[in-house]
Amino acid sequence: MHNAPVYAAPALVVARGLTRKFGDLTAVDAVDFDIRPNECVGFLGPNGAGKTTLMRLIYSAIHKTAGELSVFGLTPMQQRKRINARIGVVFQENNLDEELSAAESLEVHALYCGLDHRTARGRIAELLDWLALTPKARSSFRELSGGMVRRLMIARALLNSPELLILDEPTTGLDPQVRHTIWASLRELKRQGMTILLTTHYMEEAQQLSDRVMIMDRGRIVVSGPPNQLIEQHLERYVLQASGLAEAPAVAGDIRHERAGDADYFYSNAEQPLQALYETLPTPYALLRHANLEDVFLKFTGRGLHE
Amino acid sequence: MSTNSSLDAAALVRPLRLRTNLLWSLYGVWYRHVRVYCKTLLANATPPVLEPLFFFVAIAYGLGGFVPTSGFDGLPYRSYVAAGMVVSSAMFTGVFETMYGTFVRLVYQKTYAAMLGTHLRIHEMFVGELLFAASKGAVFATVVLLVTMLLGAQPTAWCVLVPLVGFATAYLFACLGLIITSYVKMINNFSFFATGVITPLFYFSGTFFPIRGRSALLDVISVLVPLTAPIELSRALFKAQFTWETLMHLGILFAYGIVLHIFALRRMTARVLR
Repeated sequence: MHNAPVYAAPALVVARGLTRKFGDLTAVDAVDFDIRPNECVGFLGPNGAGKTTLMRLIYSAIHKTAGELSVFGLTPMQQRKRINARIGVVFQENNLDEELSAAESLEVHALYCGLDHRTARGRIAELLDWLALTPKARSSFRELSGGMVRRLMIARALLNSPELLILDEPTTGLDPQVRHTIWASLRELKRQGMTILLTTHYMEEAQQLSDRVMIMDRGRIVVSGPPNQLIEQHLERYVLQASGLAEAPAVAGDIRHERAGDADYFYSNAEQPLQALYETLPTPYALLRHANLEDVFLKFTGRGLHE
Repeated sequence: MSTNSSLDAAALVRPLRLRTNLLWSLYGVWYRHVRVYCKTLLANATPPVLEPLFFFVAIAYGLGGFVPTSGFDGLPYRSYVAAGMVVSSAMFTGVFETMYGTFVRLVYQKTYAAMLGTHLRIHEMFVGELLFAASKGAVFATVVLLVTMLLGAQPTAWCVLVPLVGFATAYLFACLGLIITSYVKMINNFSFFATGVITPLFYFSGTFFPIRGRSALLDVISVLVPLTAPIELSRALFKAQFTWETLMHLGILFAYGIVLHIFALRRMTARVLR
């Protein structure tokens, strides 16, 4: 359990010992966390870490097996309607209606959300405009690029003007331009007061958007905190990574060394000894850089495959 | 690309008044299905209209030539078959909608996954679905009524109630379809139910010939088979004759409807939330 600092605003989402099992598999294993209003929290983890299951518990798509969960002070599943009226969800997989145009697809979803036809039309025009999709309003979803489909999914999640936006891997498989545009849109929503939960396995995404990240592995939250603080707390400041070395060179006591597969990692709080080491390495595949969230992630979730 | 002006974004987060009541939720789901269905209306609606037409011609004209001119059950044979076919077309419409249609939405299109992200209750999703299937049943029963009328069936004024019978029949069988779908893992498994359950109902519920009067056991079975009640109701409309038996069939139809409705929603809730 992490020690959450005390804040004035009551938490929007509170989980205590929250657990979900599928048969023998424990997808979410006794997690504890609080999400406060207007926070953006990134859930980071390898595939199968339990991120999606956790999100599904929050928007009442599955029952919990054990533990406590409250959203807006209400009980998921039992008060699904009241909770989800205030939530927007961007799903990992595209589940737009293939037969319908972009605008029609939003229209049917707007009615599920409880908008009347007139309000829906106005809202859809606004959202398409904001996400630069107006020229594609009449296009069928097959005519849209991956980035457009994703923006359309985001537009759909915003139809009911949610207080809490849940994004399950919002930019997986998209090119860098689209990712940066989507990140800018999400930051804008956060500035407007929205609370955002996102799952991702892109470190950059987590670092760009999140006030705090929670690193998950095998259903548990293994470490959490603001991205920069996590890096400072858990790693040296600099990393020299090299691959293809026949034999790792001997290093001084202020350099920590790790080997994984054909790659060597040298960590130090001072840049100079790593720079000196870098110049002696006989491989072109070496890079001296600041430690980043990915290093923290790999430290806590291991470098082996999680299959 | 996106302008992301703060003015626009401020408008995006303003609170909206949402209608989260049951009726609007059901309408929302029903409306989605109607919109999607209308996109492919010609391809979707041609077989359910043409098939009963061919059947009617083959049976009422072909086989009907060998039936006594008095017909069956006090109805000329063409009217007798027409009364059965309005109901059987509603049955097929209802049950296939919630077998293949629901399965495709559940497994391939992930329609319910998207609905789960909204405030909709699970039972609202599926009652909306049942209402859509029932509406289609009402429409196709009416279409079959009109087509058979043109081809020589003689309905009475009471047949204005055929859409209602079609609606109820399709609702009942759509419940059955949902129950079947809740058990099915692969779309190919449906053919077992289609051939093993639905086709026998079509042939042995008195659509083309009277079942009753052969043996006491058969009589009891035929009354209890779920397609019999709506067919008898339809015949009552075609004859404009209502007896205590009509009331009994109405009761059977409702009893089946309520039981299957409850069971269908339980099964689908378990399937969607697992």
